[in-house]
Formats: sequence, C-alpha cells, structure tokens
Amino acid sequence: MNKLTKSLSSFVVPLISILLAFLVGMIIMVCMGKNPADALYFLGFGAFGNAANFGTTLSKATPLIFTSLCACFAYRCGVFNLGGEGQFIMGSVAACYVALRSGITGVPAMILCLAAGMAAGGVWGLVPGVLKITRGQNEMIISIMLNYVATLFMGVVYTNWLRDASVPQTEAVPNETKLPRVLTGMRFTYALVIAIVVGLLIYYFLFWTSGGFKLRAVGINMTASRFNGFPVKRYILTSFIVSGAIAGLGGAAELLGTQFRLINGFGAGYGFDGVAMALIGQLHPIATMVVAVFFAALRTGSMTMQAGTGVPTSVSDIIQALVIVFTVAGMALTKLPQFEQLRYRLRSRKGGNAA
Amino acid sequence: MNTAFIANLILATVRMAIPLLLISLGELYGQRAGMVNIGLEGLAAIGSLVGFLVSFVTGSNWLGLLCGALAGVAVNMIYAFATVTLCADHTVYGMAINIFAPALASFIYRVYFGSGSELSQITLMRGVAIPGLKNIPFFGDLLFNQTPMVYITVAIVIFTAIFFKRTQAGLNYKAVGEHPRAAATLGISVIRVKYLACVICGALAGIGGAYLTTCYSNTYTEGNVAGRGFIALAAVIFGRWTSGGILLACLFFGFCDALQIRLQVGSFGIPYQFFQMIPYIATIVVLTLIGAKQAGPKANGKPYRREQR
Repeated sequence: MNKLTKSLSSFVVPLISILLAFLVGMIIMVCMGKNPADALYFLGFGAFGNAANFGTTLSKATPLIFTSLCACFAYRCGVFNLGGEGQFIMGSVAACYVALRSGITGVPAMILCLAAGMAAGGVWGLVPGVLKITRGQNEMIISIMLNYVATLFMGVVYTNWLRDASVPQTEAVPNETKLPRVLTGMRFTYALVIAIVVGLLIYYFLFWTSGGFKLRAVGINMTASRFNGFPVKRYILTSFIVSGAIAGLGGAAELLGTQFRLINGFGAGYGFDGVAMALIGQLHPIATMVVAVFFAALRTGSMTMQAGTGVPTSVSDIIQALVIVFTVAGMALTKLPQFEQLRYRLRSRKGGNAA
Repeated sequence: MNTAFIANLILATVRMAIPLLLISLGELYGQRAGMVNIGLEGLAAIGSLVGFLVSFVTGSNWLGLLCGALAGVAVNMIYAFATVTLCADHTVYGMAINIFAPALASFIYRVYFGSGSELSQITLMRGVAIPGLKNIPFFGDLLFNQTPMVYITVAIVIFTAIFFKRTQAGLNYKAVGEHPRAAATLGISVIRVKYLACVICGALAGIGGAYLTTCYSNTYTEGNVAGRGFIALAAVIFGRWTSGGILLACLFFGFCDALQIRLQVGSFGIPYQFFQMIPYIATIVVLTLIGAKQAGPKANGKPYRREQR
C-alpha cells in the first residue's frame, strides 16, 4: 500500500465508521418510536447550535483531549497506557491539595496546581513504566489496577481528608485560583488553550524531532530499535511518564477550570475514552484532538436531544462505542491481503474500461 | 480472631473467587487458542446485566445465567470476527469491546428500568447442601453448602485440567495456541478452533458476570464488575495457564476481596477505601513478584492468516 492510499484510508475508515455508527443509532431511535431526524437536529443544535452550546462542547472536550493525548503518546511508543483515568485523578487530587492547602491564590497558585498535577500524573504513570521495563510486566493490567487505586484514594480525600463539612466532596477551589474563561458567554476556559498547546507540542515532538522519530521507531519495532542502539527501555519509561503527566495536567486543569471540587465520579471513564479517541484518530495527535471534540459534541448534544425528543443520552454512548468498534475493524479490514487484491482488481477493471 | 471470623472469611473467599474463576477459565480457553482477550471486563458487564434482567423478568436465576452466557458469546463474536477473520490487533479490539459492551449494558438498563433511583432487586440463588460431605465438622458447612454455581465451577476446573492434559482434543486445541501453522498441517482447523475458543470464552465470562447479579448481589449497578475482568487476566498469568494454578490464583484474589470486606467492618478508624484497594494492590504485587517468566502459549495474540507462509 503506498503512502497516499494509506493516509487516505486512515481518514476514510473513521469517517465511514462514524456514519455507520450514526446509522445504527438512528435505527435504535426508530425502534424506540422516536423520530431520528428530530433527534439528530437536537443533537446538532445542542452541540453546535449557538455560541453557548459550542462553548459547552469545547469545555467538555478539554479533559478528553488530555486523556486521549495521553493514550496517543504512550501507544506511539508501543506501550498501552490504560491508566489515563488514574493519572488524571491523581493529577486533580494533587492540584486540589495545592489549591486548598497552600494558602496562595491567583496565577501563581494556578501554575503551582498545574505543575503539581503534572508531577502526580507522571508519578502514577511511572509505576507501570518501571514495572514494565524492570520486571517485564503487562503494563495494561498494572495501569488499570492503578486506576482503581487512584479512584479509591480520591475517595479518601473527598470523604475524609479534604471533606467539605457533611457533604462527601471537597471544598471548592478559591475563586481567584479558578482558570478564567477565554471568551465571555462561552464556557470553555484556558484549560482548552493548554490542551491545544500540549497537542501541538506532542505533534511537533513526534514528527519533527529526532527524539520523536526514535520514540515512534520503538513503537513500530522494538527489536529493530534495540539493534539500532536506541535506548528502548528509556524511551518506554519516558513515554509512560510523559503520558501520565499529560493526563495529570488534564486532571488539574479540569479541577481548576470546570469541576472546582473533587466529588464521586470525577474523571470516571475518561481514561478508556481517551484510548478510544486515540485509536479512532489513528494515533495522530491533531486528529485525536478533533475526535475528542467530536465525542464531546455527542455528549453535549445528547443532553439537548434527551430534553427535546426523549431519546436517552445513552444512545449517544452507544454511537461512540460503535465508532471505535467499527474503526478498529475497518482498519484491520483495509490491511487484509484479500482487500488489497479486491482493490487491485477493481482498479484494473476500471483501467480496462478506459482502454 | 475467632472461629466465626475465620468461617466468614472462608465463605466469602469462595464466593468472591467464583466469578473471577469463571472469567479466568474463559480467558484460559481463549489464550490456549492464541486469543488474548482483554475485553473480559466488557463481556462480564453485559453478562451481568442480561443475567440480572432475565432473572428479574422470568424469576429464574438459571435462565438468567444461561442468557448471560449467550450475551457474552454474542458480544464476543464481534471480537472473534474482527480478530480471527479480519486479523485486527487483539489488545486494541479487546479494548473496543471493553468500551462497547458496558455502554450497551447501561443503555439496556436505562431503557428498561428508566432513570429512577429505585433499585430493582431479584432473589438470589439458594445454597444446596451436599449430603454426607456437609456433615464434616466446620468445613462441611462452609464448603459443601454453597450455590450450585460453586460446584459447577469446580467441575469446570477439573474438566479443564483433564481436557488440556489428558485428551487428544485438548492437545490439538493447545497446538493452535502454540503453533497454528503446525497445527494446520496436522489437519486441525485453526480458524474453527479459534472461533470455538471465543464462544467458550464469551460464555464463561458472561456467566462470571451473571454470577455477580444472580448469586452474589441481588441488584445491578453500573461498574459492578469492578475490574474483575482485568484481575482475571492477572489470575491467568499468575496461574501459569493451568486450571489448577488459576484456581489457586483466584482463591488468593478472592481471599483479598473477602479480607477487605471483613476489615472494613472492623475499620479501626482507617478510611474504608484503603481496604478496598487491597485486591488491586495485591494484583500489582503478585504480578511484580512473579516477574516476566512468560509461560503462555507461544502464538498468543498473533494473527493467523492461512495463506501466509
């Protein structure tokens, strides 16, 4: 397969998958006795209809961008970091501590919170990384176990250590420490700006620096990279730490920008969603960010859809899940030798007709 | 430390180990045919929901378990098609199942029960005492007065051990996971065995999930599988890909789970979440201690293309 058709199929397959997923979603709506056209209208309006709705979509997209970049970066180095959720949560816990207990407020506090979040996320990513390179352990299982540990640890924090009186949640971060909105009337904050900058930095690093080239080489073929003298283990460990730090930064930004306090369910599911988005985005940082916005649009829009037509929001969850199911299967399909033959045959027939 | 405490602990250990054991055995059948399925969590989630729903509607726990198994198989067929026929990456596709199946489960639950806060409940499966063995002092009441699922699961463990060690069919099956091309030259249909593996894996993982709602807790809550699908993966590694080893591994993880519940009751002023971490931390520690001596099937997770040499 030449380079052009490869990049074409990596663009077309997710697109077809999205259409197919919507088709299935519409069939489900018809089965529930709802009008799919109405539902789609409300879905689109809820996500992009006016400045406020679009702002909500972008604000919902922000944490997803962070966790999807986290998954994307690690997988580029050939390791599966499924611990995005745990790293995200540890980042938010660290940020929460700094925001509530350091006694400083304002911009210095913001910077300190974000740095603390990155550090905590990085440490949480370091654990599976170290176990992977020293003990050859399965990084997926370890990182998932750490997700549960992180969620429970956050539980300790909001039910005991930083508990807000009788309610099982932490106090809200001080108003001066909250990340400000970029535009009035739209809900997204500077967290989105940070997310986009991180995405662009990753893109630059992966595709325009020799370090990024080596990291991708490790991801494509570890043995060949080792024979080339690349420090494979160091790259794996670094990719875990950086990937964890990205998720941790996301957790801190989400706390300061949107949620303001730790509460039951904070960050739940973001890790796996991030993996899904990275895979749909073909592990390209910029495509991954676009996919994250798309997923967020589905989520925001589905609320309006539920209010307007009675179609439950979980239909949009099904659509999201189907997109990943179809995309991965579709990408595998285009790599099959039979598919290549089919394409070749089609092309030669077309050529025959022309001649 | 009194006898009642220990008795409760043993009882809870067995009850906690069974769902893990069912799911891990499913994974064992998968991996023995070279199918690394990390979608167990999703399969168990859908099995758990369907098992609950069918038990709720029909009032029969057995029908619930059966339908849970069927749901697991149905979802795992998507995985089988994508990985065996389309040669998709096992890990990536397992992840897709982990995202898809719980979304489907929660969708079905919300459509059927609405979004009310009221929890629907079912009656749990009752224990059946084995005459004779039940009269053994102390242990008799603990180990031989369980739900039928416990006995069935133990029977599956024994069957699996014999199947893989002593039968021609079992050896043929294992050959597919070790060296599919060699197996194919012996006339074994590799593709068929791989699909069969996915059917068994889906069914056992589905039953494992359904056990949680029909024999363990009488309600369905989102996320009730709580990582058991991944702990089961660890149990397969810890158990060295043998059914006996997996039995011990699952009893160990079940013990950790039972212990944390008992400790929560005692509490000692420590936040209960720290105790809840025990099974997950135990999994990490165990995996770290046994290291990377991978004894798994050689062709694990590798795609098989028949015409490729």
